[in-house]
This record gives sequence, C-alpha cells and structure tokens, in this order.
Amino acid sequence: MADQAKNDTVSPAENRSTPILQKEVASQISPTPLPRKPKQDRPPDQDPGIWRMSRRSLLSVAGWMGFLGFIVVSTVGALRYMFPRVLFEPPTKFKAGFPQDFVIGEVSEKYKDEKRVWIVRQRDGFYALISICTHLGCTPRWLPGDDKFKCPCHGSGFYRSGVNFEGPAPRPLERASIALADDGQIEIDRSIKYLYEKNEWGRPGSFLPFIG
Amino acid sequence: MQQILQIITKPDNIPIVLLLVSVIFFSWFAWTKGRKNDAQEVPDEATMDDKVQVWPYLVRVEFLATIAVMAVLVLWSVFLDAPLEEPANRALTPNPSKAPWYFLGLQELLVYFDPWIAGVVLPTLIIVGLMAIPYIDINEKGNGYYTFRHRKFAILTFSFGFLILWVALIVLGTFMRGPGWNFFWPWEKWDPHYVAVLTNVDLSEMFGIPTRLPDNSINPASFMFGAVLVLGYYTIGPAYWIWKRNTDLMKKLGLVRYAIISFLLLSMGGVVIKIILRLVPTAFGINPVKYVWVTPWFNI
Amino acid sequence: MALMEKFKKSEFYKSIFRHSYQDTQRNRALQIVDNVFLHLHPVRVPRHATNIGFTWGMGGITFLLFLVLTITGVILMFYYRPTAQFAYEDMKYLMNDVPFGPLMRNMHRWAAHAMVLTVMLHMFRVFLTGSYKPPRQFNWMVGVILLVLTLLLSFSGYLLPWDQLAIWAVTVGTNMARATPLLGHEGPFGPELGMRINNDVRFVLLGGTEVGPPTLLRFYVGHCIFLPLIAAIFMAVHFWRVRKDGGISGPESRKNF
Repeated sequence: MADQAKNDTVSPAENRSTPILQKEVASQISPTPLPRKPKQDRPPDQDPGIWRMSRRSLLSVAGWMGFLGFIVVSTVGALRYMFPRVLFEPPTKFKAGFPQDFVIGEVSEKYKDEKRVWIVRQRDGFYALISICTHLGCTPRWLPGDDKFKCPCHGSGFYRSGVNFEGPAPRPLERASIALADDGQIEIDRSIKYLYEKNEWGRPGSFLPFIG
Repeated sequence: MQQILQIITKPDNIPIVLLLVSVIFFSWFAWTKGRKNDAQEVPDEATMDDKVQVWPYLVRVEFLATIAVMAVLVLWSVFLDAPLEEPANRALTPNPSKAPWYFLGLQELLVYFDPWIAGVVLPTLIIVGLMAIPYIDINEKGNGYYTFRHRKFAILTFSFGFLILWVALIVLGTFMRGPGWNFFWPWEKWDPHYVAVLTNVDLSEMFGIPTRLPDNSINPASFMFGAVLVLGYYTIGPAYWIWKRNTDLMKKLGLVRYAIISFLLLSMGGVVIKIILRLVPTAFGINPVKYVWVTPWFNI
Repeated sequence: MALMEKFKKSEFYKSIFRHSYQDTQRNRALQIVDNVFLHLHPVRVPRHATNIGFTWGMGGITFLLFLVLTITGVILMFYYRPTAQFAYEDMKYLMNDVPFGPLMRNMHRWAAHAMVLTVMLHMFRVFLTGSYKPPRQFNWMVGVILLVLTLLLSFSGYLLPWDQLAIWAVTVGTNMARATPLLGHEGPFGPELGMRINNDVRFVLLGGTEVGPPTLLRFYVGHCIFLPLIAAIFMAVHFWRVRKDGGISGPESRKNF
C-alpha cells in the first residue's frame, strides 16, 4: 500500500480525477489523526494556523529588529552630527569694484587671495573664473607670458577662457556668477557656478557684457 | 646632480631613501634565502623547529632591537629637525605641492586617472585585494618559510604590485616630479618655468573618432568605442575561464575565487596599460592618451 | 651585599618578584608567565622565531614605534591648541622656546615616518614567508586594517602643524573624496544622488566646504583619540590572534618535506 501511495503522489495529474483515492492516500500518510488539545497560548504543533512563528521566536525577532533599528538610528544620528546647521565661512557674494577699474585683456588677480576668483575683462565684457583647479583643488597660477593658467600640483593647464588643454584636469575651470549691482559695481557670487561641460557658459549670469 | 642631492637630503625625504634601501636589501635577502631553501630538500626554517625558551632567547633579541631602534631614532631626531614651513595660506599653492611620501604613488596615479579612480577606486581595490589574498591563494605550499619555487605566481604578482606600482612610483613621485608635476631626470635642474607640452587626446580620437560632437555632447560612436574597449578588456577574465575551466587548477579555484582573482589582476594590468598609453606615445612624438572611455557620468 | 640578600628575603621584595632569578627552566617560564607585559609571549617558541633573519623584527619594531608615538604625542599635546589661530604659533613656540620641545616633535615626526615604513616591510615579510596561509588568514586581514589605520594616523597628523606643507597635502588628499563614486559631489553618479559640496563624504572629513578651522579640529580629534583607540583595539586582536593561531609562522614540521 505504501508503494502505491508513493506512486500516486508523484503523478498528481491522474489523482485530480479521483478525489476519493486522494483522501485515502492522505489518511495513509498520517494514519493517526492528531489529538487536538485545546491550548490557550499556542496553536497545535502541527498546525500553525495563522501563526507563522511561535510567540518566543516572534519576540526574539522583534528584539533583534529593535536592536538593529537602534544601531541604524544611532549611526545615522552620529553621521548627522557631523553636518552642523551653520558654517562660519566667508560669504560667497561680494562686490569687486567698478568695471572701469579693470583693463581690457587683463586677468585680474586682485581677488584671488581673498575670494579665490580671477576676473577677466575682454573687449566685450567680463567673466569670473574660480581659482580652484578642477583636478584636486590646488590654486593654479596665472602665467601672463604663456597666456595660461598652470596648476602647480599636477601640471594641469587652462586657456585664458578656463578651458583645460593639458595635464590631468578632467574639466575646465568653473565660472562664477557675475552681474552689475545697483550701485554700478561688479557683483560676484561664488556659490552660483556655471560649468562649461554642461553648456552653461552661454547663460546670462556667466558673462557680463560691458563695453566702455 | 646638485638638485637630486638636495632632494635626497631634505629631512622629509629621508624615509624614502630608507624605504628604497631597505626594500632593495630585503628583497635581495628574501630572494637569497628563498633560493637557498629551494635548493634544499628541507627549508632552513624546518630544521630550526626545536623549541627554545622565550626568556632569554627571544626577549633579549627584542631588548637589543628596542635599544637599537631608540638609539637611531634619538640620533635622527637630534640631528634633523622636522620641517615647519610658512603658515597655512589657502591662496598660495607651493610648487610642486606633494602629498605625504607614502601617498606619492597614488598622487602619481592621479596624472593618469581621474581622481575618482586614482583616489578612491584604486585604494579601495588595493585594500580589498590585500585582504582577499589569503582566501584566493589556495596554494598550500610555502607556508612559513622563504621560497620562490613553490609559489612563483604569488610572489611575482605581489612583488610587482609592491615594488613597482607602490615603491617605484613613490620614488618617482619624490625624486623626479618637479614644479608643475613635470618629469625631470635626476641630473636635470628643477626649472619652475619649464613648460612641458602635455596636449592629450582621447584614444578614440587617435583613430579618427571625435569624442564630442560640434554641440559639445558626447559622440555615441566614441562612447561605444570606449565601452567596447574597456568592457571587452574585462571579458578576458570570463573568456579565459571558459577556455580553461576544465583544468585541475580552475576546478580547485572555483568560479568565485577565479572571478575575484581575474578582476583584481585585470584591474592591476589596466593601470599599467593606461600608464603606458600615456607615456609611450610621447616618446614617438604622438599626443598621449587622456581617456579611453568618455561617458557623461565618468571618464576612464 | 648582605643587606641586599636581606632585602630579597623581605615580604616587600617577594610581593613584587614572585620567584627567584636563579637560572632554571622553571624560573625562565615564570619570568614570562608572571609578567603582565611579557606574557604576551608563549613560554617557548620554535628556534627560527628568534631568528631576526626570519622575522626581520618589523612587527615588533612597529609596535615599539607606536608606543614611542603615543608617549611623545601626549607630551606634545601639552603645548598644542588645535585652532587655526594658535596651531602654527604653538608649533613655533614648541620648536623655539620649549626645552626638548624640538626633540619631542622630531621624534614624533620621524617615528611616524618610520612606522609607516616598518608596517610596509612587515607586510612584505609576512607575504614572502606565506604566513597569511591557513590558519592565519583572518590575522592578515586584521593586519591590512592596521596598515590602513597607520596611514590614516600619519595623514591626519600631517595637518596639525597648520603650515603650507600641511594644508596643501591635506587639500589634495581630501579633494579626492569629492570624487568618490556615489558619495562625493563630483564623483560618478554623486550629483545624480543629490550630493552637494555641503553634504557629501568630503564634508564629513573637513567639517566645512574647504580645509579650514573645523578641519583642523576634526583631524586633531581623529589623530589623538579616535584613530589610536581603534588601532589599539585592532592591535590587541592582532597580537592575540598571533598566539591563538599557533604563534609565529613556520613550516609545520620537517616531516612535511
């Protein structure tokens, strides 16, 4: 009988048409029906019912989840602690004097030390280059003789326009927002940047048209 | 010549001279010991397996070593002052400006790779690769004694990584990288006004495929060219596996170990290839390669 | 001499030295076992483990240099304030006006350089003798972590003099963190994930958007407290595992050949 039962179970397709046989087989697998003792706190051993886990393992899992949650929240909190709400850094927006103070065709290093920008005046206007090498943040030098910016750290070179042409720098220098303030002075905001590789150099704030 | 003497005797460069001397000495020393063991049936260490008491035989060695090290350290500190330069100034970058000597190998790699590779990915790979060594080296021989015969591949690979890609690059970065991070031979004078022509082109441009279209967006052809080269390079690993998968060695290694080994080895090889692509064309008067693969998100 | 002999028989002396110095096997063993510092060692080791030609002594020297650095480092802290206003002045003061100040600073600096060197050589030796092979795989991993910690300790100390050398080495070093994939604001896929200059991984290191006073403080705390503590914990594990994994490596026995 046992063999027969086994054979039947491996070909369930045949069984579908004979429900009576199936019932027989089921009774043969567990010949003695389970004694169903009524229990207050626990479903019967063989029949978990809606309970997928026992109360003890549920509490254990809940405990571990709580512990993990605590660790995760503490880590996030510790990380958040490293980002203060207020920074004491110099303001990024400043006035750089009147346009007439600059000479056409000159790269002004007047604000390089203090504000880390070069102000370049061309025949048709101004742009401001941030004097931070796009490679690793060194301060390049303006070499008037070679008409280029050269970074001393790893040898990156940039044209007067800020476009990189030699060395390891991955992209051109960044341009800062430049505009005329109400009092006629040039106003530069370093926190607004225009990137060449994103085609932002044509945008209004990146260039200050000025003839005079 | 005066230049190189000046650099070597700079107080902060003494460790590099020590590094160079000690690494050469110890490589030679380990090599002789290994060859001697290889020539013998039983390595020397195995014949010295009788036990001795730690007190006094080990403690006295430690004591003498401590005295020697302290003596050297005190003398070194009495006669050489640690450098203290001008106060920090954010606007004035010294030329050349160098990282601490032990990072100069990585700084040298910055010439060849974008910072995210040279500064982040490669160090991570070095650390992970070093940690993985015990688990991917399944050679049971050569445990606890000097040898070369029993583990040629392991020793050659590690020595290449340590001696060439780490120590030699440190030495190069210290002694031969001058102002503007330009290369100077030891007999040349460091000229701060020296201008090297460093016009780089992308590899696809060498084959006539422009990297960028006229509107400054990336040329799909160039993108595909780079993708095929880089990804194709990494398929050497799986291809070799398919070819050799039935050999004893590969069966013993298993797929996971093999995947890790081949990835690490190909990455190491890739670094060398990129360095060659940058250095060799200059020797033939061709513009060196900047990127092999340019994408909108990253460049390799 | 008689007085000395009498002293040696006193309760006071015996409470400190629990055994005589007579050269016996037992006393040699007790010398190691009864001493809190020496009992890091086993009582007996294979003879090749005492051979400096085998070990090069680099691991031990590294530990010695760590101790030297701890002591000289604490001494330097008496005169150093980690603020942009005072740090450089304090260095000048230490170098010019503090007796033995230059010696302490030089020892700290050169021992740090030497430690990086000996750690590398230790790793080289352990590799060449195949000592990372079973059962010592895990200890090799701990060793790699210690190597990284040594480099980080040395690098974080580099900023503290607050001179040109310091600020630019650290500027270059930490700018690489900008380019961290995913977590840096200039790294691949970083901007796409919302990384900006004031919330990426570099900011955690610097405490600001550029190397400035908060950076000095962060590096100071990391250099003097955080990293040495972590390193000490890993060192304890490292030494413990050397013992537990069967002491210093060597060929199993000559029967294997």
